[in-house]
Amino acid sequence: MTNQSQPQKFIVPIGPQHPALKEPGHFEFGVDGEIVTSATIRLGFVHRGIEKATEDRTWVQNLYLLERICGICSNIHGTVYAIGVEKLAGVEIPPRAKYIRTIVAELERVHSHLLWLGVAAHEGGFDTLFMYSWRDRETVMDLLEGLSGNRVNYSTNLIGGVKFDINEKQADEIRRGLDFLEERTHYYMKVVTTDETFLGRTRDIGTMTREQAELLGAVGPTARASGVPRDVRSESPYLAYNEHPIQLQVHDGGDLLARFIVRLNELFDTYRLIRELLDHMPAGDLTVRVPRRIPEGEVLIRGEAPRGELVYYLKSSGSDKPDRIKVRTPSLCNWGTISHVAVGHKLADMPMLLVGIDPCFSCNDRLVTVNNTQNSQDLTWDALRRYGIEYYK
Amino acid sequence: MTIGSMFGNILRSLFKKPATENYPFVRKDAPAALRGKLFYDPEKCTGCQLCIKDCPADAIELIVVDKVNKRFVMRYHMDRCTFCDQCVQSCRFNCLNLSDEQWEMASLSRTPMEVYYGRDEDIKFLLEKAAQPGADDSCGPAPAEQA
Repeated sequence: MTNQSQPQKFIVPIGPQHPALKEPGHFEFGVDGEIVTSATIRLGFVHRGIEKATEDRTWVQNLYLLERICGICSNIHGTVYAIGVEKLAGVEIPPRAKYIRTIVAELERVHSHLLWLGVAAHEGGFDTLFMYSWRDRETVMDLLEGLSGNRVNYSTNLIGGVKFDINEKQADEIRRGLDFLEERTHYYMKVVTTDETFLGRTRDIGTMTREQAELLGAVGPTARASGVPRDVRSESPYLAYNEHPIQLQVHDGGDLLARFIVRLNELFDTYRLIRELLDHMPAGDLTVRVPRRIPEGEVLIRGEAPRGELVYYLKSSGSDKPDRIKVRTPSLCNWGTISHVAVGHKLADMPMLLVGIDPCFSCNDRLVTVNNTQNSQDLTWDALRRYGIEYYK
Repeated sequence: MTIGSMFGNILRSLFKKPATENYPFVRKDAPAALRGKLFYDPEKCTGCQLCIKDCPADAIELIVVDKVNKRFVMRYHMDRCTFCDQCVQSCRFNCLNLSDEQWEMASLSRTPMEVYYGRDEDIKFLLEKAAQPGADDSCGPAPAEQA
C-alpha cells in the first residue's frame, strides 16, 4: 500500500495488541499530519479452525461449536445451521418452534444493538451513554436468561426444534421489559440526534454513498444506513418472518449518524415484532424427529444476524458428520468499506469508523489467504503432512 | 442544539440505588430455567449412552458396573460442561437434569470438578478399584489425581 509519489509518508500501525481495541486486528494508517491518506487492514489473528473442527463432530455437536463462532450473535449461528440441517434432512419444524426461534433471534438483536450503541458511544468518548445503555441491556440479558437459562450462548435450538417453551408469565415479563427498553431507546435516539458534542463525532463522518456500499458489498445496518434496502428477513423470509414481516429500516445519510439512526430504528421495529409474535404464538409441539444420519446433499442457507447477512453452506455425504461446513459472517463483508471511507478523515475518527460497522473479529477469522506467487506449489494431502512433519522436526 | 444531554439522567441516578447487584452478600434466586450443575438419576438409566454421544464437550462418561442389572456410574466433568442442555434433551428416560440452585461451581482445584453419580456401593467399588496399584484408567480417576 506504500504510495511511491509521497516518499515521506508516515504510517501509524495499530494492533494487533492495542489498548484501544478489544479484539486483535492490525491496521496501518498512512497519515499526512492528522489526515489519513491510506488504510490497510490485516485480519486473521483469532483464526480457530472451527470449519475444520466441524468435520470431526456429529451434526448435533456442531450446533454448539458453531454457536461459539461469535459471542454476541451466537444464537443466529445455531439457528441458521439448524435450519440448514433440517432442510437437508427434509423435515419441517412445528410452527411454535419457529416462533420461539424468531423471538429469541429478535431478542438477540436487541441485546446486540444496545451493546453496539454503548461501544460506539465509548469510542466516541461518551462514556455516560455507554454506561447507561449497557445498564439497560441487562434487561434483555435477564429476559434471555429467564427463557433459556444461559446469558450468552442460549443454545435455544435443537436439530428439529427448540429446547424450551415460552409460557404466558414469561411472555408478560418480555412485554414489560420491552416497554422499559422502548422508552429508553426513544431517549437514546434523542441523545444521539441532538447532543451537539456527540454529533460532532458522527455527523458527516465516514460517509458512504449507496453506490459505494453496493460496490463494496456492504451488508446489514451498514448497508441500510447508506440507502441499500438489503435485509434477508424481507428478501427471503425464513422462520416466522413470512407471517410477520419486518419493516425495513433504511436511511440515506451514509454517515455514522445514519448508522446510529438505522440501528435504533431497527430496535423499535424489533420491539413491535416481538410483541406481535408473542400475541400470535401458535400452539403445538416444540420438536420434530430428525434422523441422526443426514441424507446426502448440499444446501446454502441465509439468515439476518444483527450485523447483516450470515451465510452457511452445508454438505453432507449421508453420515452422522458433515462433509464440509462453510460460514460467511457479515463482519467480513463490511471490512472493505473501512479502508475505503477512512481516507480523508482525521486519525482520531478511526476508532469511531471501525466501530461504525459493528465489527466482530472472531466472527470473520476463519480463512487466511497468502498471495505469494513466486513460491507457490500444489501439495497433495500426504505431501502436506510430510512437509508439516519435516518443518517441525 | 443540546450540550450535556444526559445530565438529567445522571442527576436522577444520584438519588437511586446502584444498578449493580450486591453479590455475593445478597444472593438473588436464579430463574427456574437456569442451567446449572448436571444431576443424574441412576435408577432410571437404561445405559443407551445417547447423552454421551451428543455431548459437544466430552463432559460425561458412563461406566458400566453391571449391564444386566442396569448398574451404571456417571462421571461428570463439571469443568468441561458448557451447560447446553443437549444431554437432558437427548435422554428419553428423564434421568438427567440441570439444577437451577447449584450454579456456584468455582473452585481453586480440579478435584471437585469430577463428580460421580450412581449407587453409593458402585462408586465406592469403582474408586477402590482405581486406587489399587496397576489399575487401568478406564474406570475411576488415575491414582495420581486421587492423591
